[in-house]
Amino acid sequence: MIDFMGYGPRLLEGALLTAQLAVLSLLLALVLGLATASARLSQNPPLRAIAVVYTVAIRSVPDLVLMMLLFYGAQIGLNQITDAIYNHWGYDIFITIDPFAAGVATIGLIFGAYMAETFRGAFLAVDRGQIEAGAAYGMSRWLVFRHIRFPLMMRHALPGLGNNWMVLLKTTALVSIIGLSDMVRIAAEATRATHQTFLFMIPVALGYLVMTSVSEVIFGWLSRRYNAGFEEQH
Amino acid sequence: MTDEPIPLHVSGIHKKFGDTEVLRGISLEAHKGDVITLIGASGSGKSTFLRCLNLLERPDSGEISVHGESIRFRMTRRGREPADRSQLERIRTRLAMVFQNFNLWAHMTLLDNVIEAPIYVRGVPRKAAREQGMALLERVGLTERAHAYPAQLSGGQQQRGAIARALAMDPEVMLFDEPTSALDPELVGDVLEVMRELAAEGRTMVVVTHEMDFARDVSNHVMYLHKGQVEEQGNPAEVLSHPESERLRQFLAPRGR
Repeated sequence: MIDFMGYGPRLLEGALLTAQLAVLSLLLALVLGLATASARLSQNPPLRAIAVVYTVAIRSVPDLVLMMLLFYGAQIGLNQITDAIYNHWGYDIFITIDPFAAGVATIGLIFGAYMAETFRGAFLAVDRGQIEAGAAYGMSRWLVFRHIRFPLMMRHALPGLGNNWMVLLKTTALVSIIGLSDMVRIAAEATRATHQTFLFMIPVALGYLVMTSVSEVIFGWLSRRYNAGFEEQH
Repeated sequence: MTDEPIPLHVSGIHKKFGDTEVLRGISLEAHKGDVITLIGASGSGKSTFLRCLNLLERPDSGEISVHGESIRFRMTRRGREPADRSQLERIRTRLAMVFQNFNLWAHMTLLDNVIEAPIYVRGVPRKAAREQGMALLERVGLTERAHAYPAQLSGGQQQRGAIARALAMDPEVMLFDEPTSALDPELVGDVLEVMRELAAEGRTMVVVTHEMDFARDVSNHVMYLHKGQVEEQGNPAEVLSHPESERLRQFLAPRGR
């Protein structure tokens, strides 16, 4: 076994960090996306407006810019707050933003906006009669959501979610700019030190390929699950 | 037995869609075992009226009471809304609806459709719900198809399944919204047969229909709606054989065929 000139363990750690970052960001993006799509479709005008501003603003700005803005901007904002507390009350508080948490928050926030659009379209594709039947049988809105709207919506959302997930996974490479040692950053360091580009970059590419392949399997399973009952129409 | 509250009492239902007044004060009283048919041309408001009974449409005014309990309303900026969501949900469980397009939940098997509301709305234990569900599917002749999805069933089978879903709630009143209108002609008979049996066993039913034979033979009260009002109503044998209003006479006149 080649040991990647001593970089093997660190590359594996980087791959693990990439995977953790991607999965946690995905969870955050799904929650934000569902909430935003629900707000967009609600009958509450202020909620709808907030959802529109969020989706439009986030999708209009490059990911890289957002990441720096959120990471450095949030740190500056926090510093100003802690300084103010020190000046007024004399408490010396020191808070640094954890790069991993900042990465998850930024990527989750960015992809929440894309997920929201995917979910919104999928919710609109659900036949109204299915929801009415739930209401007519005395179901609460929450029960209708869990048992009828959500599972029927997922069938329409899954192709878009799968696509968003692939882009999200690759976007994690951006976190190296805020100092996180993901797979790409370690490989870049190793390449600079050894000048062996292929030795490090090909395993990195393969690492992404392994992760996307695993997710293909998971999405295939989800797709079969949420398409149960619909095979006749395809 | 005389002081038993009546299953369904509805008075003065008005409903506007924008500026169009589609219901102009309709009342209805269904006693236990009544089968009331609502007939009328499309656009007469009969389906809208039926959908007002379980508040799938919000009536602008009028009262609805089920087994003596009135649905409470309150005024909001968006108009008249039910005041108490949990009361509405409770009352809806007593008014099972059968839809024109069946509306069986597409992602659930037939049996799961039948046991869904009993388990998750009424809190029936799963095992008991399944046993009852299978018995109901046997009643409507669908034992073999219990584990099929709606898309795998014919329209007639779906509608009979939807009737089993309604029966599983053991409803006070069953609401049928043109239950045979979306069916191929050869499938209508089976569904009507099931409905006749339900009427014969004393189920209280309100049925919007184009099936005049059903209205004549099965219902004990027919209401003819025209432009959001009851134009004529009464005993089907009399009303349908000797209509008083000219409009109903024209409506009943054989059209082509």
